[in-house]
Amino acid sequence: MSSLARPLYNTFVKRNFTFLGVIFASAFAFEIAFDITTDRIWDNINKGRQWKDIRSRYVQSGDGDEE
Amino acid sequence: MASLTSTSRTLLRALPRTSLSSLPVRALSTSSSKCGPGAADTSSFDSPFRGFGGSKTAKIPDFSHYKSNKSQTSNQMFQYFMVGTMGALTAAGAKNTVQDFLVNMSASADVLAMAKVEVDLSAIPEGKNVIIKWRGKPVFIRHRTPDEIKEAESVKVESLRDPQKDEDRVKKPEWLVMIGVCTHLGCVPIGEAGDFGGWFCPCHGSHYDISGRIRKGPAPLNLEIPEYDFPEETSLVIG
Repeated sequence: MSSLARPLYNTFVKRNFTFLGVIFASAFAFEIAFDITTDRIWDNINKGRQWKDIRSRYVQSGDGDEE
Repeated sequence: MASLTSTSRTLLRALPRTSLSSLPVRALSTSSSKCGPGAADTSSFDSPFRGFGGSKTAKIPDFSHYKSNKSQTSNQMFQYFMVGTMGALTAAGAKNTVQDFLVNMSASADVLAMAKVEVDLSAIPEGKNVIIKWRGKPVFIRHRTPDEIKEAESVKVESLRDPQKDEDRVKKPEWLVMIGVCTHLGCVPIGEAGDFGGWFCPCHGSHYDISGRIRKGPAPLNLEIPEYDFPEETSLVIG
């Protein structure tokens, strides 16, 4: 544990701007992951009730001139 | 001076040990006799609790049970990890809050859908007016003939009330697009009427020419030009 902590500390925490950059980068990554996860949960709960699920029943030709 | 301060320090350190009654005597005696090698037997790193060492009421607790047995770096790393995670969550939350407010303030989809109007220009013959509704207002579209374009361009701009060149008012000279609301009090002018061959407002008698510029009457400004574009040769998008 200690052998792992020292290089981690030196790489990410020692200089403040690196630490801040790591924080913002992880915030960005976290946001994407969070959005994807919650969207997936939502789609899973509302399966078969959303327009993208029933679209094929009403739109046959795909890229027709109406909708 | 240095010996005096060290003496007083020794004295202070000795204070708890001495009984209060004998203090003045000893203080006097130490100041004279103990400033020599006798002061060296108490080091400056002594525990401040040493004087109470024998006392039963002031036991110093043993903290070793609570002490982390990991190294300092891994403890530090854990703390910084927690701080950083907290900061990242806060940053994501703050960003989302701001974004939600901005999204809430921007136009919604139904407004955006109403905001644009597409017109098929091939249905409008030369020399004809078309009035369409856009954002609740009438919009005049005139397919101008070459004669009308020449007429609009030949007007001396300096003599006008609201001087504006015809080329500043149109994107394509044959298509004149403007909002059909009189700049005086907001009536809708009548097309192909008035003294200048353009529009005439029946409410108070403002005359507009074939470029929609005010020429006569009470209106102060030319007819307003909306934002429009020609995405294709024969279609016009207003908005």
